[in-house]
Amino acid sequence: MDRRKFIKNSTLASSLFFVPSFVKAFEQVAINKLGYKRLVIVQLSGGNDGLNTVVPYRNDLYYKARPTLGIAKDQVIKLNDALGLHPSLTPLKRLYDDGHLSIINNVGYPNPIRSHFRSTDIWHTATDSNRYSQSGWIGRYLDNYAKSPHNAIEIGDSLSLAMKGERMNAIATQNPKMSFFMSRDPYFKRIHDHKNDAHLSEHNLGYLYKTMIAAESSAKYIHETSKTYTSKNQYPDNKFAKQLKTTARFINARLDTKVFYASLGGFDTHVNQKAKQKQLLGVYANSIAAFVDDLKANNTFKDTLILTFSEFGRRVKQNANVGTDHGTANNVFVIGGQLKKQGIYNNIASLSDLDDNGDIKFEIDFRTIYATVLNKWLEVDDAAVLNKSFNQLSFI
Amino acid sequence: MKNNHIKHLYWRVGFGVLPNQLMELSEKSKAEIIDNLFKESKTYTPLTLNKDKIETLMLSFKENRMEIQKMSRQKIKTLNIAWVDRLSTTNQILREKMTLFWSNHFSCKDNNYIYTENFHNTLRKHALGNFKDFVNAVSKEAAMTKYLNTKQNKKKKPNENFARELMELFTLGVGHYTESDIKESARAFTGYSHNVNGDFLLKKQQHDTGLKTFFGETGSFTGEDIIDLILKKKQCAKYVCGKIYAYFVNTQINDAHVEQMAEVFYKDYNIANLMRFVLMSNWFYEDKNIGNKIKSPIEFLVGMKTTVPFQFKNKKRLLHIENVLGQVLFNPPNVAGWKGGKSWIDSNTIILRLKLPSLLLNDAYISKIEINSNTTNAERKAMLKKRNSKQYQTNTNWQVFQSNFKNVATQDLENYLLTCKINPEAAQYLSALKKESKREYCIQIMSLPEYQMC
Repeated sequence: MDRRKFIKNSTLASSLFFVPSFVKAFEQVAINKLGYKRLVIVQLSGGNDGLNTVVPYRNDLYYKARPTLGIAKDQVIKLNDALGLHPSLTPLKRLYDDGHLSIINNVGYPNPIRSHFRSTDIWHTATDSNRYSQSGWIGRYLDNYAKSPHNAIEIGDSLSLAMKGERMNAIATQNPKMSFFMSRDPYFKRIHDHKNDAHLSEHNLGYLYKTMIAAESSAKYIHETSKTYTSKNQYPDNKFAKQLKTTARFINARLDTKVFYASLGGFDTHVNQKAKQKQLLGVYANSIAAFVDDLKANNTFKDTLILTFSEFGRRVKQNANVGTDHGTANNVFVIGGQLKKQGIYNNIASLSDLDDNGDIKFEIDFRTIYATVLNKWLEVDDAAVLNKSFNQLSFI
Repeated sequence: MKNNHIKHLYWRVGFGVLPNQLMELSEKSKAEIIDNLFKESKTYTPLTLNKDKIETLMLSFKENRMEIQKMSRQKIKTLNIAWVDRLSTTNQILREKMTLFWSNHFSCKDNNYIYTENFHNTLRKHALGNFKDFVNAVSKEAAMTKYLNTKQNKKKKPNENFARELMELFTLGVGHYTESDIKESARAFTGYSHNVNGDFLLKKQQHDTGLKTFFGETGSFTGEDIIDLILKKKQCAKYVCGKIYAYFVNTQINDAHVEQMAEVFYKDYNIANLMRFVLMSNWFYEDKNIGNKIKSPIEFLVGMKTTVPFQFKNKKRLLHIENVLGQVLFNPPNVAGWKGGKSWIDSNTIILRLKLPSLLLNDAYISKIEINSNTTNAERKAMLKKRNSKQYQTNTNWQVFQSNFKNVATQDLENYLLTCKINPEAAQYLSALKKESKREYCIQIMSLPEYQMC
């Protein structure tokens, strides 16, 4: 053995010697990958007004219900002879034309709840509207299939319920470098340099030590893997775009993460909706467009699926403050390079047959979308994650 | 009473104990100490803020809806801050800790400040009282009738939400009732509503006075009758005792102990008697029950505050910290409340918890000496950035700490700050530390995983 090789081998051996076997087992995970397809979930919080997002511009009932709030026919970006997009969504038109966008209309669930908290909970946990759950659907995906918390990442300070499982939670990070440095205080290193494995088996305290080591390991993995890649693409200057830029960085650095979660808030437009929604949808569409370009440039778009939802749609009739109140069914956007059903997935529900509250009746249970994504995209048993079997849709 | 038993007691019914207090208590017997805890918590001191403005707005509820909501959001934040302050300074610790427990048992939230404050003080008022009165009071709170839709529960169109959660989460636990029991009892709670001030109102024309068959009995039951029938089941006492055991004693339930508790509780549903029985029992002080509980975020924050008083420069940053740690007071995740125990800890919260004492109390340094010799430039810069970020800036009163711990030798500090045994390796590391300053050693102990236990 030559000297160089010897030194290399001996440093490797000695450094392994000092790593607790728990961590070693943990790092094996990278070898056992979950596959290469990725899901990016985007939540438009507050309840985006779907009817002014995908506009039935030939429907008189729409203009009758929204005399001053409706989007004028000549401003709509026409998709077909019934529906068009809000003018702020111009960047999405290109995706639509390329067959990279599928719009699923009238998505909701039975016995809809019009409270932000509850309806968000229902979308996050994928339970029936009269049931409560303390775990989210991605959390349960982690419980069943993940090897490490960083298999799902929320770009933010704290975790949404969707990302919390019974046994494993996802990672929340805004800035991987900061998370890494946070976890790397020399003091912590000293504490677990002094740690032996026997201690890790202890009940609650053992759990704390294990989680601490796993967290350091994940923070290190995320930081060191993602720092190899810097985006060359231009993104708009706002927080949401920044979340997507970080997501793109993780994806393009081939991080072993299957699910990403980002969100954009402020859609609760009870008052003067026009300006607010125009601005927010602009932020959404321009950021998504930059994100898709970034992925395309790195050949990762074809293996990425972007799912955009909001906890509920809004009332068909505008209110006295030129805004809209909480409603029910809404549209969901699916963006990706491998869509089977492109464009408009289904027609918008009737505006003459509304429920008692004057809201759109739902046609597609959002959990059928989750089931489809789990089964056909993430290739796992959807019933094991959703605790129930749902029909599959055909958009992927 | 032994020092480590006092520490255990005070951590479970409060947020720790200071050295002088510990010294004073160690002279007393267990019965004396426990008597005193109940005596201090005998009276009930509501937590309230000035409500003049919002009450005026509520006189014209419809017109001022938006403004009421906006003001409520602000005031609920202020109430949160006020409660955390009270938790770290009150002498009615048992009542306050019970209030914290019940706020997770009768999990509820509302966007109206008046109803939120009323509900909160109802929890405090009944925290050590009679459980039957408690359940009835909760069922009639405006916040609850809104939260679980009893307000929408009408004779012609019953809403089962409250009836279901009443049994599933508040009294019996899953599997001790049928779907038909839910349907029938929901009818008994029809017409439950409130006026603008939040006072209970039974809307007679919405109330279903007809016959209901519930748990095999038939009658024209009211909501109160249903609660009577539920509490007649011993399962109710067992279920509530199980929750109290998991919170105050051990998340790993000992069935025999819970059975003993249920015997006591079932007699008259007196919560104070039950708690006295638990705190007086020998098993409460068994080694396996000491220092094995993972602190909730509030226990962690208030515990730190009790040892080293601090205030956020921007008071509302407290809510941000509660949020990232996973427990915002007055905002439970859902009607099942916070899961507690291990679920407080994940990859995100553990690192923040270990870093928080240094971030809040010591300019982000766990040890200045170590930092200088072992860090890269980039790390130092990152830490500086953290330190300067507004979210962690506090006014910290180390003088209070120095005076409270005046008679404690630096190397003994861990015996006051920790309840669980330090594992031998960490202890070895601690003993090797220089311990140049009491303040720095305090931060180092608080930065151990062991400090997360109580």
